[in-house]
Amino acid sequence: MKKAKTAEASGAFSAYIPVDADFRLRDNAGEIAIDENFAAQSFGKDVLIRFFRKASAVIGLILIIVISLMAVVGPGMNEYTYSGQELSQKNLAPRIKALEKFGIFDGSETMNTTTGSKTVNYYVEKGLDDVEYWFGSDNFGRDIWTRTWSGARVSLIIAVAAAVIDMVIGMSYGLISGYFGGKIDMTMQRILEIVNGIPRLVIVTLLLLVLKPGMLTIIFALMLTEWVGMSRIARAEMLKLKEQEFVLASRTLGAGSFFIIFKEVLPNIIGPIITQVMFSIPTAIFTEAFLSFVGLGIPVPRCSLGSLISEGFNSFTTHPYQIVPPILVMALLMLSFNLAADGLREALDPKLKEM
Amino acid sequence: MKKYIVKRVITSVFTLLAILLVLFILMQLMPGSPFNDEKLNADQRMALYTKYGLDKPIVVQFYHYVVNMLKGDMGVSYNISKNTPISQLIQTRLPISIRVGGCAVAIGALAGLLLGLVAALKHDTFIDSIATVISVIGVSVPSYVFALGLSYAFGFRLRWFPMLFSQQAVFSSSVLPSISLSMFTMASIARFTRSEMLEVMGSDYMLLAESKGISGSSLIFRHALRNALIPIITVLAPLIVDLMTGSLVVEKIFAIPGVGSLLVTAIQSNDYNVVISLSFIYSAMYIGIMLVVDILYGIIDPRIRLAKKGD
Amino acid sequence: MKKTKAVLAIMMASAMVAGLAGCGSTDTTTTPSSTTGAVEAGSGDAAGDATPIAGGLDMNVMLETPVESLDPQQATDGTSFEVIANYTDGLMQMDADGAAVPAIAESYELSEDGLTYTFHLREDANWSNGTPVTAADFVFAWQRAVDPAVASEYSYMLSDIGQIKNAAEIIAGEKDKSELGVTAVDEKTLKVELNVPVSYFLSLMYFPTFYPVNEEFFNSCGDTFATSPETVLSNGAFVLDAYEPAATSFHLTKNAGYYDADRIQLGGLNYQVVQDSQQALMSYQTGALDTTLVNGEQVDQVKDDPEFQAIGAGYLWYVSPNMDAVPELANLNIRLAMTFAIDREAITNDVLKDGSAATFTAVPPQFAAGPDGSDFSADQTKFSDVCAYDTAKAVEYWQTGLTELGISELTLDMVVDADDAPQKVAQVLKEQWETTLPGLTVNLTVEPKKQRVQDMQDGNFQLGLTRWGPDYADPMTYLGMWVTDNSNNYGLWSNEEYDAIIEECTTGDLCTDAEGRWTRLYDAEKIVMDEAVIFPLYTQCNAEMMSSKVTGVEFHPVALNRVYKNAVKSE
Repeated sequence: MKKAKTAEASGAFSAYIPVDADFRLRDNAGEIAIDENFAAQSFGKDVLIRFFRKASAVIGLILIIVISLMAVVGPGMNEYTYSGQELSQKNLAPRIKALEKFGIFDGSETMNTTTGSKTVNYYVEKGLDDVEYWFGSDNFGRDIWTRTWSGARVSLIIAVAAAVIDMVIGMSYGLISGYFGGKIDMTMQRILEIVNGIPRLVIVTLLLLVLKPGMLTIIFALMLTEWVGMSRIARAEMLKLKEQEFVLASRTLGAGSFFIIFKEVLPNIIGPIITQVMFSIPTAIFTEAFLSFVGLGIPVPRCSLGSLISEGFNSFTTHPYQIVPPILVMALLMLSFNLAADGLREALDPKLKEM
Repeated sequence: MKKYIVKRVITSVFTLLAILLVLFILMQLMPGSPFNDEKLNADQRMALYTKYGLDKPIVVQFYHYVVNMLKGDMGVSYNISKNTPISQLIQTRLPISIRVGGCAVAIGALAGLLLGLVAALKHDTFIDSIATVISVIGVSVPSYVFALGLSYAFGFRLRWFPMLFSQQAVFSSSVLPSISLSMFTMASIARFTRSEMLEVMGSDYMLLAESKGISGSSLIFRHALRNALIPIITVLAPLIVDLMTGSLVVEKIFAIPGVGSLLVTAIQSNDYNVVISLSFIYSAMYIGIMLVVDILYGIIDPRIRLAKKGD
Repeated sequence: MKKTKAVLAIMMASAMVAGLAGCGSTDTTTTPSSTTGAVEAGSGDAAGDATPIAGGLDMNVMLETPVESLDPQQATDGTSFEVIANYTDGLMQMDADGAAVPAIAESYELSEDGLTYTFHLREDANWSNGTPVTAADFVFAWQRAVDPAVASEYSYMLSDIGQIKNAAEIIAGEKDKSELGVTAVDEKTLKVELNVPVSYFLSLMYFPTFYPVNEEFFNSCGDTFATSPETVLSNGAFVLDAYEPAATSFHLTKNAGYYDADRIQLGGLNYQVVQDSQQALMSYQTGALDTTLVNGEQVDQVKDDPEFQAIGAGYLWYVSPNMDAVPELANLNIRLAMTFAIDREAITNDVLKDGSAATFTAVPPQFAAGPDGSDFSADQTKFSDVCAYDTAKAVEYWQTGLTELGISELTLDMVVDADDAPQKVAQVLKEQWETTLPGLTVNLTVEPKKQRVQDMQDGNFQLGLTRWGPDYADPMTYLGMWVTDNSNNYGLWSNEEYDAIIEECTTGDLCTDAEGRWTRLYDAEKIVMDEAVIFPLYTQCNAEMMSSKVTGVEFHPVALNRVYKNAVKSE
């Protein structure tokens, strides 16, 4: 890493080659500009370089992009819709025609019944030669491929929305609390302790009962509980930064409190905040899945990864292929967010990186 | 230090009281009542409201509840187990939940530490990758999926352990639920241990210790791990509480007569007193654990105490 | 329901139809094995089995929900009833066909006017603490049931349904509970006075609300009555020996002091509450459970198994349109269109798969038999002109309805329980309605059951998916719901002619004319169907696995779901 930095630095300096103006009065403005450019650019670049150096972080990022992309285009890739039922084609095993000749995804499944196991191919039995369900079809004859990706879409929207709103609320709360200190801080911290004292799942569940079920409600409930961690980080950073000279300078120049909080301090702590957002997305996905499992998730017939898993739960021993896609996508999503967040954290914190 | 502890305890008590009030308000806002059933008409519902004092204003109800609770009476269940005092309902269940949760924490923390340690020592090797993969799976899959997979494999296929909790075979029937619950803890601890160990091992005092000729297990355990453990404790504390709430679904799956499964049922059937009492107990445990950790931390590391005072 | 003045002079006690001849025997269900009456065969076996096993084996029984209450006057759910009946006998008990046969009451006399029952209690009936079961125990228990301070949810069993003298007044707080029309003539003689003749009165006597409670013992328990093995007394086939409130597992052992102990062949009952169907089936397959419920999705896995059976649960599931608050649903053509657009067979055969039977009548089949012994709703096609699956007709009615209303599209909201089966059914309904009826959008509001019931009781809904289980074996348990101002008439439908028929059949002239009343009940049902007051969907069955080692368990759709007195378990 040190090598990279030197290269960076020398590159930046080489751009400044004094020619004939060497002994003239120094152009102050220009120097400041270069100085600023150098500092800003190199830190950002540095982080990026460090991030992309880490294979796991890159894998995570790629996975996030791929899954998000699939969540957008996946449901439109075949003629099925997420709610369209075809009861005559229910519980069909995965079938992909292109792969049939390799003996996989040919629509046959081995059923472990209590009277012995048997291999059946309902596509053949029902004469559905032209029909294919890439991930199989569910209990209502709905396409699992379409449902998995639209479920991923719902889960992602919920998680990202909750995390971003958390960030805004938690960050503001933490920054304000930390900046003003004293009585304001005391009061705000006590409120936070109360919110934090109620177990997360309990309050989310109760909120979902109080409010009408739906996607917005779930986002709201998740948002209400997740901002605490965010505000802690913001407050800690604020406490660290507010004594520093640049804040003092800004204040001396007559900047108002909110200008200092949001214009001066905020840009300096955006790194840890983004990392925290990355970490809170998987938590939100998990919480949503839990809610689906206790029957308070996204209302039917819409689906999320969590509700797909809990729907597939009952047919796990009968038709295991129904639960596998949502679990896989969810696990990959959790994995990729964790990996990317880890990578980002290490990239942002050179101390961690150097060990 | 004493003053700090007293201050923390007092704030905790007030926090709990505030939580209780919040829970009460939430209960009031909850649509439906414990007595909504096709078979009950308006007159019968009114009779039941009167019987349980639910027709009184919320302030009066709250007052009565707090007063009764101070006397150790948390009210009765309305429909999970009709007219049973909550204290009786949870007195056998809480120990079961705590035991299963405790097992899970122990398994998770030990396995996680070991995994993290190995990964850190064999940094950037194949073993490290394996350990990383295991810990990543742990945080990526919900505990009830583990529960399903484990009971299918070890309960149904191999028949090593019973799938349902039984009072006669507490140990063997706690194995599968404890493991399913411990996965998340294990994975988190493993990841954290690994990075903490790497950080500690890269520090100057480790270099010093090494240069003084200390080596092998003494170096790792007495110098590195000990220093890495301090931050791990802080991660473990919230995990313990998360675990208790995480047990909500796992208890349901394995038919464990614990408080988690009770809470889920109570929430779904509007059994106010049970919901309030259990949520309150969860909150109390959470705040209690946080308090203990804070105090412990202050003892272990005086810098924290000073920083807290500065707040 | 509550308003029903159940003066039913026709019902024979034996008219209780067991309903175990198999749900689905009337339709083309995919589960033919479900119709094998394992129970009938079982009880036959048990009778023929002359060698009782010494000590007997424990039967491991799966429950879906924990016991809510062991207090016979407080319990309201099937699970609690089943367990209470295991260790308590009432005056009467259920035989395999659901008929009332003597239990604690050795014999009884009915007065000429049909208003006074005198029960003679057996001499050898004792509580498990050694004290004899006396008439006073019944008096105490029945007074508790109507005591406003106890607020028993099933108090209407004594007042509206049982028509016991003064019961209604006591519940309303107008009279003291000591004035209840039940008296202990002497230690073993119980006299019951009724307001009007109630022909099915004997069949109420096996309903747990009517079970005896020993006053002295009750008082010694204080508030803790029926919350532990120490605080319950047994006078029945088994004794509760391990139990905690809302326990996930508990145990009963054969009662050696039971007056009919020779008949009981099981050593005990080991109950296990399993809420997750996957765990339940796997445990059953490992032999940890002898009987378990099977989820619809698991039926594919077990349908060829001889141990698989569908047991009638009695509930009628239906959609209730809110005709009062939603002007579009007040239009008859819209309602008819919606009921014609429902493919009920697809719901039961393709989605539920648990043996539930598609139902086209307002009174479900297989629970109420008429004066000639025939099932009230055996003919499911009798209303086929107003209730069937016919998309062409549906569209026709739909267009007419839309024209009448002057609209081209309609969005409706349906409230649904957040449980597995209702959510499945609702999704299919939505799909069927939206595909068949152009311009219709149905949104589902999924909420916990308590909340859903409240919304419906408050009239705060458009369409509601709900259910009703019979309280007694007479069509009136259903038809009584739709009279004006009944609390279960969610749609607030009102029809004078209908009200008149119901009045006539409950307190009017037809009380004593069985045949005539039966015909008029058909007329009443026809009005409900013609007006599409409800869209009946299906009669619920429970798919169960019952180990081949166990025979003789009796199943009933009303009162006691499972009776184990004749059950035998072999090695």
